[in-house]
Amino acid sequence: MTSKKYTYYPGCSSEGSGSHLHVSTTAVAEKLGIELVELDDWNCCGASVAHVDGGYLPTVALSARNLALASGQGDQDIFITCAACYLKSHQANEKIRGGENMRGKVNDALGAAGMSYDGGLSVRHACEVFVNDIGLDAIKKQVSNPLDGLKVAGYVGCQTVRPFANTERGGNFDTYDDPSFLDDFIEACGAEAVEFDNKTSCCGGAIALMSPDKSMGLIKNILEEAKQKEADCIATPCPLCQQNVEMYQDMINKEFGTGYQIPVVFHTQIMAVAFGLDANKDAALDRNTIAADKLTKIANKN
Amino acid sequence: MNVISPQAAPPQASSKYDLGFARWVYANVEGGAKMSLCMQCGVCSGSCPLGDAEMDHGPRKLFMMVRAGMKDAVLGSTTIFNCTSCYNCVVRCPREVPVQYILQSLATKAVAEGYAEAVKTDNTRFSGAFNWSTAKFGRTDERLMTAKYYFSFGLIAAMKMSMANLKIALSMIKRKRMHLGAPHRIKGTGELRAILAKAAEIESSAGGGS
Repeated sequence: MTSKKYTYYPGCSSEGSGSHLHVSTTAVAEKLGIELVELDDWNCCGASVAHVDGGYLPTVALSARNLALASGQGDQDIFITCAACYLKSHQANEKIRGGENMRGKVNDALGAAGMSYDGGLSVRHACEVFVNDIGLDAIKKQVSNPLDGLKVAGYVGCQTVRPFANTERGGNFDTYDDPSFLDDFIEACGAEAVEFDNKTSCCGGAIALMSPDKSMGLIKNILEEAKQKEADCIATPCPLCQQNVEMYQDMINKEFGTGYQIPVVFHTQIMAVAFGLDANKDAALDRNTIAADKLTKIANKN
Repeated sequence: MNVISPQAAPPQASSKYDLGFARWVYANVEGGAKMSLCMQCGVCSGSCPLGDAEMDHGPRKLFMMVRAGMKDAVLGSTTIFNCTSCYNCVVRCPREVPVQYILQSLATKAVAEGYAEAVKTDNTRFSGAFNWSTAKFGRTDERLMTAKYYFSFGLIAAMKMSMANLKIALSMIKRKRMHLGAPHRIKGTGELRAILAKAAEIESSAGGGS
């Protein structure tokens, strides 16, 4: 298979809470003929919070430095796994492309470090690359260990699809309210994607990190439906969704008297298992705080 | 207070209403120019995950308050800080008003203008801790950023918050999801700080956010 090359921006969570997304993406990408060259010396994108205390233009400038560095590494597309990193980087890129005024201001700021960026690159979400550049058939072709009998609740979350999935520059890869790509990935891997009404409900995002009391109810709704649908696990592409929905289950159980113990994995962990890769080295299943036992069992039978 | 209630106080002449506020928002807030297209349909408020529970006014009402010139009430509202950035409002608005962008930009303005309600929010503290880590290391060190955030509430509160989240922290360490040791630091921290300082300078001289 000939590989297609991308500049990979892993984002800060790849070095901490979302390290299992990084590990499993790297493993899966290799199988799918995606060559990932990490963006050298990348910085934080600012996520959904930097603007409050940092201001508007400085927040755009954070992404602008990454974009300028990326353009120095070639004109290949930027590949981003984290929903917030994708959102902020794509948004900044489109702002810079969109008007001379913004492009001028951003370049004035970049000029303070002798850098510049003309808006020439495309910033793409990893899932959009899977859909548009790789395709479901190529994913199915890699499946050597189909996930028979595994029921998965595909939880897309917000920023992977909103507000860019249905725009031309966002690759027109799915809808905002009822995206199908994640269920398609799950079924391509031989698992069953349960009907999941909460697939694009919000988990609270960064609000859940700073003020968990405000968004516990949102997370509970997601968990409750997964339980009702008898899902063996929830799968998501977003590192913040994964973290919030997984780590607050004890707190929610205490608050609401529930007994949730539902594993929350990444779509790429599911793919890695279906592709016959190693449960821990590649699928990073040892990094989930609520063990995905059924998925691990399938991985280990291989 | 309900204006039709017999107990309602008479309207007061006060600075609560700043009739230039809407024009200021249209000109200085990202997406503000499109706010005049709002027809008060309420799709934004109806789509908002925390609108009912955590916002004193939904986005629809807040936009009307902007038009009415209620500057203090708008910039002191919880609405602009409890937006989760889910972007439901942005993709659903029939007039393509970029609601989230406007709320976000209003939050930035409220902090920059020193509104007391805005300055003490969890968001402003969290954002400060986040930006501290980025400026210092170039990246978010989740562990140090969280500690910095907790300590912004004072020592005793920080101890309580740490204890409440200790079990989560330990499970993350055990599962190799919390980085231990020296923070990851980029080579270009000086370069990044110079860019951020210049961007802040441009922003303050322009006074605008769009």
